[in-house]
Amino acid sequence: MKSQSPEETVEYYKHLSLFWTDLIHLMSSKPQALGSTGPMRAFAANSKKVATELIQINENLIGFNQFLTEYYKELAETWNEAQKKVNLKAPKVPQDVEQIEAFKRIWIDIFDNDFTELFDSKKFGENYGKLVSKELELTKHWNNITNVILQSVNLPSKEEIDEVYKELHSLKKRITKLEIELKKSSGKN
Amino acid sequence: MTHESSVDPKLVEEILKFNKNVLEAPKLVPAPDEIVLEVTPHDVAQEMDKVRLLHYKPLTDKQHKTPLLISYALINRYHILDIQPEKSWVRNLLQQGFDVYMLDWGTPTAMDKYLDFDDYINGYLDGAVEFIKNESSVEKISLQGYCTGATLATAYTALHPDSVKNYIATAPVIDGWRDTTVISNLAKNMDVDKMVEVIGNMPPEFMYYCFSVLKPFEQGIEKYVKFFKNIDNKKFVDSFLRVEKWLSDTPPIPGELFKQWIKDIYQDNLLIQNKMYVNNSLIDLKKIDMPIFTQVAVGDHLVSPECSMPLHYAVGSEDKTLRMYPTGHVGMIASSLSQKKVLPELGQWLLERS
Repeated sequence: MKSQSPEETVEYYKHLSLFWTDLIHLMSSKPQALGSTGPMRAFAANSKKVATELIQINENLIGFNQFLTEYYKELAETWNEAQKKVNLKAPKVPQDVEQIEAFKRIWIDIFDNDFTELFDSKKFGENYGKLVSKELELTKHWNNITNVILQSVNLPSKEEIDEVYKELHSLKKRITKLEIELKKSSGKN
Repeated sequence: MTHESSVDPKLVEEILKFNKNVLEAPKLVPAPDEIVLEVTPHDVAQEMDKVRLLHYKPLTDKQHKTPLLISYALINRYHILDIQPEKSWVRNLLQQGFDVYMLDWGTPTAMDKYLDFDDYINGYLDGAVEFIKNESSVEKISLQGYCTGATLATAYTALHPDSVKNYIATAPVIDGWRDTTVISNLAKNMDVDKMVEVIGNMPPEFMYYCFSVLKPFEQGIEKYVKFFKNIDNKKFVDSFLRVEKWLSDTPPIPGELFKQWIKDIYQDNLLIQNKMYVNNSLIDLKKIDMPIFTQVAVGDHLVSPECSMPLHYAVGSEDKTLRMYPTGHVGMIASSLSQKKVLPELGQWLLERS
């Protein structure tokens, strides 16, 4: 028997591996074909996509909670500060209608001023922006999961619907332009 | 030994009365849903997609020649300009003999997310102006913009100065960097690209959040306490419910339009710097060379005077007037002050130029 070179040995095993991989794939895809029109088709691939999205949702939830905690911390701190100012300005417990009215006015003015100052601050604005951004990330993942489900039942995804909207918008614009040009040229004639 | 109560009997009486008012409120006042906000008769003169051009029926035998088109804001609906007969902006102008049209921007749906400044300015607004010019057989019209509607109207006037005879900017959103309101702070920190990419149109709920941070205690608590205290006052209650109904009814804002508005006005502040483009055309405020009347409310917590006033100084007009009123954003257009002072001044100014 003729001895083989190392390259030939590698080639032999490569071919052997590919042969069986391809054959097993061909054999196993036959029973899979039975479910190709049902919602469970591409189940493994879809499950992987959904699992990936869920893992990312968890990562984003950590960031989201961080900004949400900061948001409520800022609100609570402002509330406490405002209440201290009210206590200083109106230390006595109101006894009659007039005093209650005056107390209420002081309370509302101080709280409105302090909270407006908070909402107007750079710190609040930046945290709020990040909080909304994280919320949008969560929505994005939810959209992606929904897309997987939509496509498993042969419905268009959000991106595909958006494409149609975009096309419609551009067609409408072109029609309007053509109508204007038509009007102009019929006016000239 | 006798025990004397230190509680003021008037206070007890007040609490009991308030309690009674809360319980009796449903019997005394209509539900907001039962209130019809449109008060002044009008026709729908033109429809463009979801946008309607309203034409109000005259209230005088003779009308001034130049018609007036009102470009209402993109937030909430046009009803505030015709909220009730005695506070109606539109009715007052009709009574002064003006021929009034108004744009109702409608309710954009998901498929409208690609509508942008170009569609609103060169599409709907221009379409309405051309329609009115044709209907009234005039070369030019008078244009009024309110709030964000004034941002659109300002851009339109700069791009189509030949169609506008007089321009009235009421609380216009112009200089985003100078705006000192809470809204501007939130807008400056928005990731608007991501927002539009993920959710498409700007949902009304997001606008409600923005409103809720404006004077949260006066607007969130005191306002309703006043409402229940005055439940017997028919006039007060009617006015309150109408404004509340108007406040809680805002349509979504098309995504692309919102994106450009936040970026170009609040984040990059392009409009006032004459650097903003609409469909490849530069908006040069110097091209606004017709008579212009700018109305600003000193107590405006939605569009601060610092945000609106720069328009007066940026335009190319020689005939320009700036008026400041001691009221707020809504007070300027729907209050007894607007009826007694704001509208008569506007009417006089417009009459001299119509």
